[in-house]
Amino acid sequence: MTEDLRQDTLYQLDHVSKSYTRGKERVDIFTDLTMQIGRGEFIAIMGPSGSGKTTILNLLGGIDRPSAGEIAFKGQRIDNLGQGKLATWRAHNVGFIFQFYNLMPTLTAIENVELPLLLLKMSGKERRRRAETALDIVGIADRAGHKPRQLSGGQQQRVAIARAIVADPAVLMCDEPTGDLDRESANSVLETLQLLNTELGKTIVMVTHDPAAASFAKKELHLDKGRFVEREALA
Amino acid sequence: MFRQSLAVTLINLKSIPQRPGMSIATIISVALVVGVLLGFSAMANGFRATVQGTGSQDVAIFLRSGAQAELNSGLSRDEVRLIEEAPGLARDSGGEAIASAELYVIVDGTKRSSGTDANIPLRGVGEDAALLRQNFELVEGRMFAPGSNDLVVGRSVQREFSGFEMGEEIRLGNNNWQIVGVFSTGGTVFDSEIWADLGVIQNLYNRGSGVQTVRARLENPDAIERVRAYAENEPRLNLDVQAEQAYYASQAGATSDLIMYLGWPLSIAMAIGAFAGAWNTLYSSVDRRTREIATLRAIGFSGFPAFVGTMAEALMLSAIGGLVGAAAVYLLFNGVSASTLGGSFTQIVFSFAVTPSAIIAGIVMALVIGFLGGLVPAIRAARVPILAVHAD
Amino acid sequence: MNRATLVRKSLFRKKVRAILLILSIAIAFFIFGALGAFYKAFNSGVEVAAADRLVTVNKINFTVTMPLAYQARVAQVEGVRNVSHASWFGGYYQEPQNFVQTFAVDPETYLIAYDELTLPPEQREAFLTDRTCLAAGRALANQYGWSLGDRIPLLSNIWQQQDGSSAWDFTICAIFDADDDAVPTNYAIFHYDYFNETLAFNRDQLGWLIVSTTDPALNAEVSQAIDALFANSPAETETTTEAAFTQAFLEQIGNIGLILTSVIGAAFATILMIVGTTMVLAVDERTKEIAVMKTLGFTAPSIFAMTLGEVFLLSLLGGLIGLGLAWTLVSLAAESLAGFIPGLGISLDIALIALALMVGLALLTGLLPAMRAMNVQISTALGKL
Repeated sequence: MTEDLRQDTLYQLDHVSKSYTRGKERVDIFTDLTMQIGRGEFIAIMGPSGSGKTTILNLLGGIDRPSAGEIAFKGQRIDNLGQGKLATWRAHNVGFIFQFYNLMPTLTAIENVELPLLLLKMSGKERRRRAETALDIVGIADRAGHKPRQLSGGQQQRVAIARAIVADPAVLMCDEPTGDLDRESANSVLETLQLLNTELGKTIVMVTHDPAAASFAKKELHLDKGRFVEREALA
Repeated sequence: MFRQSLAVTLINLKSIPQRPGMSIATIISVALVVGVLLGFSAMANGFRATVQGTGSQDVAIFLRSGAQAELNSGLSRDEVRLIEEAPGLARDSGGEAIASAELYVIVDGTKRSSGTDANIPLRGVGEDAALLRQNFELVEGRMFAPGSNDLVVGRSVQREFSGFEMGEEIRLGNNNWQIVGVFSTGGTVFDSEIWADLGVIQNLYNRGSGVQTVRARLENPDAIERVRAYAENEPRLNLDVQAEQAYYASQAGATSDLIMYLGWPLSIAMAIGAFAGAWNTLYSSVDRRTREIATLRAIGFSGFPAFVGTMAEALMLSAIGGLVGAAAVYLLFNGVSASTLGGSFTQIVFSFAVTPSAIIAGIVMALVIGFLGGLVPAIRAARVPILAVHAD
Repeated sequence: MNRATLVRKSLFRKKVRAILLILSIAIAFFIFGALGAFYKAFNSGVEVAAADRLVTVNKINFTVTMPLAYQARVAQVEGVRNVSHASWFGGYYQEPQNFVQTFAVDPETYLIAYDELTLPPEQREAFLTDRTCLAAGRALANQYGWSLGDRIPLLSNIWQQQDGSSAWDFTICAIFDADDDAVPTNYAIFHYDYFNETLAFNRDQLGWLIVSTTDPALNAEVSQAIDALFANSPAETETTTEAAFTQAFLEQIGNIGLILTSVIGAAFATILMIVGTTMVLAVDERTKEIAVMKTLGFTAPSIFAMTLGEVFLLSLLGGLIGLGLAWTLVSLAAESLAGFIPGLGISLDIALIALALMVGLALLTGLLPAMRAMNVQISTALGKL
């Protein structure tokens, strides 16, 4: 499994199982899941509540580890990394976009975007410059000095996207990114994601239960009882 | 409005246990403030009660002019004789003034609490000395025999210093004394003294026939003016004449004032700290109940009950704190014996006295802390917008 | 922006709360600084006591006098370098309220014994030769506005001259300083001879002896030798080191140390609880934000460090403000109280203890919230991504 053979593969999941113990009961989210995610993909994961959508996002994002099986990112296993290494790995490789934006209320927009850069070796000047660029890309540079509560939901989500891409990660994990937005803002956010995918080549994994949102992806995966049902996007 | 307020207040008070950490922190911090205030005032009051309770209005004390304190004074035998002839003094059936010429020297006693030496007055007194102290009673044993090395010991001396047990022999300087009696004057400064025969003290300490002070009973409290006039017009006398009560009152002031000069600023400073704690606690209480308050507003309650409810919580916490502090000081300190250097350069034994007025002052202080700490959060509670029903 | 900005911003997230916390911490440190300064000044007599200086007093009590001849006899004791003596004058200036600490001393030996007192050579000479000279300490002279050449009467509330007067006339011919601020200069000294020969009673008696030994190691031996010299005489003596004597005297006033420690303890107990509970609350309030930070890649140790850093910032801000306030108050008070409490000031060791307390406070109140912050579980706190 050398690097050049797998250069198109970003994620390789082999026989991954995940289960929780809830009280005395053991709950299997999924068992023996094997799949790949290629570079430059834009995948929408859909499925009913409790189908394991968030769990798979957590596993791919390095927030959670599988109960069994292996997960490799760019050919390197991440399922056996310790908490500290996993955190550093996230800082370098993954951007996160949340349903409720989760910006730091005490920081301004640009400071929020700068936040992940504190984890990389970079001068203060360089951090500021890159944060400005990221805000520019999502089209909200004019709101750089505003605090989150001075921004609309759509604007906040743009700041959150800027924060997700500022460290130039290979992949973006989006959990219901439009779940809290009106249609117009939602579309604009999704267009931005699409742009990041096509222009900057970001691989995007998006969990949603909104078919309209999913239609922006190149590929839709339907998760049901721990199994994927693949379907090419209609658009 | 009243019923609304009552309902909201009850909801508020019932929710206190949901914030145990901060509520207890507030209670304890208020308790500590009140404790410090009461501790200092118990000390000051105890000392003052002892010193001001000393001396009666109808006893005159004669000191050499300018001496200010008994220790510094000195009177010759001739002066004593002249004093005893003064008009206005009460006399016994034989026509003799009821007077006691006294001389005291300072000796070292060993404090029980620290094991260190401290100054105790050894007072040489005449036969009338006991008559001139109100409430004088021999608790144990007998009076000293004239001309002997007998000692009678004040009850407080016995309590604070070691080696003064009944029947014991004690060495003070280079003389041995026999303890033959224990006396009490009802908790006055005299209880911090030891007494022996005047002649013996004069002899042992090479004072010839000199004494320091004369105490004499007045015909009545007003007679002091006649005595004073006599002393001023008699060229052979150079005296300060005071009612004994006034003499001791002037000695009490400085020390107890000093204690309170320390006590008040310290407790006020600490009160500001506790105020900050109360404010924080109530602020977070209001924060957590924002949705609940908004719901009440939505179903028709006005803002005022929310204000009252929060204020009630504030006052409740601080009042509990005040009571806890007062109770702790009362249980720990009330009646505890201590001694300090008094105006005459000797130890005055006193008991901490937690007085009702000090407790009231402490509780009032606690309520002030609660009121000020609760004010802004309560106003904030009253202004919670109804839309906050949807708050996170 | 850097991590320090993050720490600062999260501390001041709720401004009123942060200010109140800083205020309460500042007050505790203010109390500590002010009481510490007073206590240190109060105890300075023990600290400035020379190691080789002994004090011999009458065994009955230090207020009881002893024969003048004792000075010459003690001078013969082996290991004794210098013997001086002093007597309490009980002086006041004009009014009885204007208390002036005054001692009748043997001038030459006194200045040898207290070599920390400094005065210009010509003033030293004047003091040694002029029998009616009063050498006033700098703090005392400032208190009453005395200057060289002033003629002042001092009254005694104890002693009388043969003519019945209680006033002695003096000329201020020397004003002495000390080589260390902690050494008091709030008293005056004058010739014992001038005092003794005019006394109406108790002549040829001295108050206490000040004995300098050739070597502090000999202190115990010399003390015993002196006391043995006068054993079974009408005036037996008790000799102790100057430090022990001063300590014993201070203890007569009461256990001031215990009282002050209790107050400071109460003040710190208060802020420990207030700051501790508030910080736990503050961290609980932003569990979600911490989870987001962790998602972004902040490691558990760095979350721990930042939360603890926040409490350190709080503690240092409050502590330094409080110490600054105490310093201001003490500096203002030092001048007006120089006559009563010499050497009042926030010394380096008080400042260092305060700093240690700030660190201790931060650790005590910060560790629990920092642990809680560190242990926030992303998936539990966010529920979902």
